Amino acid sequence: MEIRDVPCPFCGCLCDDISVRLDDNRILGVENCCTLGNAKFLSKGRLQHPIMRKNGKWVEVSYEEAIDETARILSDAVRPLLYGWSGTVGEAQVVGVHLGEEIGALIDSTTSVCHNPSILAIQEVGHPGCTLGQVKNRADLVIYWGCNPIEAHPRHMSRYTTYADGYFIDNTVTDRKVIVVDIRRSEGAKVADEFIQIKPGGDYLVLSALRAMVRGRDDVVPDSVAGVKKEQLQRVASLMQKAKFGAVFFGLGITMSRGKYKNVRNAIELVSELNRKTKFTISAMRGHFNVYGFNEVLTWMAGYPFAVDFSRGIAFYNPGETTVIDLLERKEPDACLVIASDPGAHFPKSTIEHMAAIPTVQIDPCVNATTALCQVQIPVAITGIEAAGTAYRMDGVPIRMKKIIETNFPTDQEILERIVTRIREMKRDG
Amino acid sequence: MAEILLKNAYVIDPISGINGELMDIAISGSRIVEEASQKAEVIDCQGYLTLPGGIDSHTHTSGTKVNFGRYMSPEDMRAGRTARRGPMHITSGYSVPTTYGNSYRYSALGYTTLIEGAMAPLEARHTHEEFKFTPLQDSFANTLFDGNWGMLRALEEGDITRAAAIIAWTLTAVKGFAIKLTNPGGTEAWGFGKNISCINEKIPTFDLTPADIIKGAIRANEMLHLPHSVHLHCNNLGTPGNYTCTIGTFDLVPDINDKRQSLYATHVQFHSYGGSGWGDFCSKSEPVARKVDFSPQIVIDMGQVMFGRTTTMTADGPMEFNLYRLHHDKWSNHDVELETGSGIIPVNYRKKNLVNSIMWAIGLELALLVKNPWQCLLTTDNPNGAPFVKYPEIIALLMSKQYRDAEFATIHPDTEKRVPLPALDRELNWHEIAVMTRAGQARALGIIDLGKGYLMPGAEADIAIYPIKTDEIDPSAEYEKVIAGFSRTEYTIKRGRVVSRRGDAIIDGENTTYWVKPKVPAVYDMQHDPAFIELFERYYTVRMSNYPVQEEYLHRNYCIETETDL
Amino acid sequence: MNVTITFRNRTNPFIPIEAEMITPDAFLQDKEILVGEGNRTVPLEALADLVIEGDGFSIEEVDILIRGDSSRVKRVGEYMNGGTITIEGDIGMHCGNFMSGGRIEILGSAEGWLGREMQGGEILCHGDAGDYCASGYRGGRRGMRGGSVEVIGSVGDFACEHISGGEVLIHGNTGDYACAEMKGGTVTILGDSSRVCANMSAGTCYVYGSAEEMIPTFEKKGIVDHDGLLFHHFMGDVANRGRGHLYVARYTYLQ
Ligand code: SF4
Ligand SMILES: [Zn+2]
Repeated sequence: MEIRDVPCPFCGCLCDDISVRLDDNRILGVENCCTLGNAKFLSKGRLQHPIMRKNGKWVEVSYEEAIDETARILSDAVRPLLYGWSGTVGEAQVVGVHLGEEIGALIDSTTSVCHNPSILAIQEVGHPGCTLGQVKNRADLVIYWGCNPIEAHPRHMSRYTTYADGYFIDNTVTDRKVIVVDIRRSEGAKVADEFIQIKPGGDYLVLSALRAMVRGRDDVVPDSVAGVKKEQLQRVASLMQKAKFGAVFFGLGITMSRGKYKNVRNAIELVSELNRKTKFTISAMRGHFNVYGFNEVLTWMAGYPFAVDFSRGIAFYNPGETTVIDLLERKEPDACLVIASDPGAHFPKSTIEHMAAIPTVQIDPCVNATTALCQVQIPVAITGIEAAGTAYRMDGVPIRMKKIIETNFPTDQEILERIVTRIREMKRDG
Repeated sequence: MAEILLKNAYVIDPISGINGELMDIAISGSRIVEEASQKAEVIDCQGYLTLPGGIDSHTHTSGTKVNFGRYMSPEDMRAGRTARRGPMHITSGYSVPTTYGNSYRYSALGYTTLIEGAMAPLEARHTHEEFKFTPLQDSFANTLFDGNWGMLRALEEGDITRAAAIIAWTLTAVKGFAIKLTNPGGTEAWGFGKNISCINEKIPTFDLTPADIIKGAIRANEMLHLPHSVHLHCNNLGTPGNYTCTIGTFDLVPDINDKRQSLYATHVQFHSYGGSGWGDFCSKSEPVARKVDFSPQIVIDMGQVMFGRTTTMTADGPMEFNLYRLHHDKWSNHDVELETGSGIIPVNYRKKNLVNSIMWAIGLELALLVKNPWQCLLTTDNPNGAPFVKYPEIIALLMSKQYRDAEFATIHPDTEKRVPLPALDRELNWHEIAVMTRAGQARALGIIDLGKGYLMPGAEADIAIYPIKTDEIDPSAEYEKVIAGFSRTEYTIKRGRVVSRRGDAIIDGENTTYWVKPKVPAVYDMQHDPAFIELFERYYTVRMSNYPVQEEYLHRNYCIETETDL
Repeated sequence: MNVTITFRNRTNPFIPIEAEMITPDAFLQDKEILVGEGNRTVPLEALADLVIEGDGFSIEEVDILIRGDSSRVKRVGEYMNGGTITIEGDIGMHCGNFMSGGRIEILGSAEGWLGREMQGGEILCHGDAGDYCASGYRGGRRGMRGGSVEVIGSVGDFACEHISGGEVLIHGNTGDYACAEMKGGTVTILGDSSRVCANMSAGTCYVYGSAEEMIPTFEKKGIVDHDGLLFHHFMGDVANRGRGHLYVARYTYLQ
């Protein structure tokens, strides 16, 4: 059997044209997918039962016991943290937000460690963006700044930009120019019409220089800015202004380098300035397939896209204070629930140590690096393959993830609902 | 079934022809009935003003653009935070509250039905997700067609039937309610950073003018027998001198529906400007109102501006960019492929600002000058002119010349030379207010048949009871009491249950989403139309099979099936 | 009225305490002081010894002394409008938020957001201050608006972000992006600074030390004498149509 138009539950491109061949409830093959997505669809090996540490050893326990223990940990905590969320669907995230509100928790997502600065920048100056189809149909200039689509979003260029069929683009190869900006010559640089190599940490300065040039104030710009010759900047500024539709995509190269959100802010302000001359848009290359969805859900429910502290009964938001890394570095949380992410694999050492020192529970289908930090792990259905629900693409377009495999594993949403119910029972029974 | 008996309700129900009668209202389940049994819970209304639940026929509360307004504005979020209390969840936000914030605050004002003013079809799922978390009001979505390539191509080919078929497919797919046109042609032009400045100017990409789009959409709308008319945000919003464009647009509208208007023009305040620039900017509410008076086929809403901070958000991308250049504050823009655009900027309407003062006056003038209240409904285009929590103040301004004069004395002194407001003595009465906040909406939206907007047996039991005794208040002098009375109902009843009591939501609630499904013959079913399918395959970035809003998003819903002339 | 608050040692000293009610005004009005410890709300006395001596009839007569470990106590002096608060040790985040009058003196160091959105009054910090000293809130367009902040030590990143009024004096160095988006007020940095005044539109900033990685879009206006020293005078940020004044003793570009 073949199921068509399946959205890929891996990266923020959320390609929804995947064909999956099935036999007897097993995936045999995947078409249209890139290697990253393929690996996700075909991954094997998962945790079969909930597990709990007892006397220092992992033992298999029932779902009921694992949920009971989780509820007890969260109810006892004075500063519980609910973290992760980007790898699950909106329907589960909603339950998570209600849970956080009910127990006065901190809630934060993987946004905190990737595009957190993009959001801070947007909150200062807004976001001139568009859906990806606008770029596909219209853009004659595409700029990849501090990101490597070929590695991290393999189908971005073929589906949405450089190589995509576009209504106003007769010949995608000759009619679209590509500029790549990075601190080193990446794969993407090879296909670029213009490659700008910036000294590490110099993005902000280059963006300021371009803004001044777009305003016609080349005179104030020194001969070289962060390793880039003034002539090249002038050439690029002119390319930008001549474009009919320019689209900037940026990634962790500018959000995670020195200056973080100020870099993004400057890029946005450059784009806003360019809109006085022509059409320009800017978009973040979001990572997890539903990282944007959590931002949306938390925003309509609590008013902020990530990093919310419910401890005082209202929603308080202040990245730098209520963000996961800062909280763990200050050793604030006294219990932690991790879901749909794997902080153990890439968080800084001191923060991982704190997670291991407090009762930490993980809801995840697989044993991963975070398992080592946990007291309890509850296995669930794999979202987007065994569980359906809503995800938001990197440009905000909502897409329904499909369930293509039957499973006996409960979904993230079901587990979270059971935890909420159990916490209420415990509260009622004192 | 649960029963409620409202005793001693002082009822104004314009649709049923009741203008201030003391009566009892019996409710059984979700509906108003002839009489209740002995078991009914009795609520003594003590002669308080009792109206059908409020209906906002044009507001922005749910969806991609609204949520982005929240997302980009932590300063607005912190300005309106409330704690968890009883069944009430936490809320954040002043001008763009969270979904629960919208729902609780609207409910406190007695509103039971909201029409989301602008839903981009591609992002419809998002709107429906937020509807689910706006539990105390029924939801309807005006669906954006201003830059819909499928529809524009059909109109360009002169094939109105095909345009209607595409509209039908899209509304059904995205679970929309009505056709919304925002700056028709302008949003397509904005795809390359341009705009359209006249209804007779050719738009890019298609061999059409805005006038062609408007006329074509009106005809298609009536071929589909949709409950509501075309809902139009005219071209040239916010530009000095745009009133001629507005009147020119009204001239295009035939009178082809005997139950309701043929065109609903929204936030007309923003479209009633005179002058050739900001220097000689002035009110042209008089010619616009006169035009409405002579055009029974047109209904407008005010789009009243009130002073203070708010956030503007519309599908009108180019207009928002112009605002950004004026204010130089934050600016967000979000164009939607093959469909429409959108923009968001925060604004602060200030009394010291002459233009803002004139805008404030124009909205009121429209409501006072249009003779028939059924043709001019009360809105702020929430939150564009002001957050909806300002409605009680607007009601008071319309009911009191004294209040208007007092306010007028505090605004920019030059306003007097630019607006007719000081000369207008009209004071609206309770009945007229009831028309402008619920009955008029129900008729204009075409939802009276669904039991909306009136209080007779058979109607949906959506009721607002205000702590106002009309015979004890002189609204022209005691406007403070009018404001207080409309700010917080004694009871708001939604679908037969008390949902809000003295300002607090008291149950979780569950709303209904209304959507339309025109019955289209197989030959016009776009699902199997090769050209339509090709448009999707080549130019959309979402597969056609993944585009429709799935059943899962509809929770409680009501499908309005229409017979069509296709 | 003299109020002495002595925080006791806690079993888990890392849980933050939110104490926005610790202001002279609240004590003058004899309010019950409730604080948040994590997600619980408790009376201040549950965490600290409280001694109140004498009466006060006006805000100017209220002096608060905070002792013990207050390094995790947030929001002390929020909306303070008169009187004094003296902190013997370190203080947690958001000390003096929205303050409009009175004086806060910190003998130790302050965590982030010291004097956030301050409108008036004085803050003196003898140690270092964290990030966002004298700055604004997320998404806000105006940071500190009035009053004065003096830090004897150094400050973290984003000091005086969005500042639009008031005076700030930093004796030590700043981190990255001091005075970013500056719109008014006067900031004096006696030490070194990095990428100072990025995107400023108005206001005045002096750097007595070295301005590293100068923003490349400031217009050079010449050398001027200030305070008996020679400074390079810049105006900008040109990228932002800005007309602010930046005076630096020495500077470098990232070329
Ligand atoms: S680009 Fe991303 S969404 Fe598309 S197939 Fe690859 S991993 Fe999946
Ligand atoms: Zn609107």
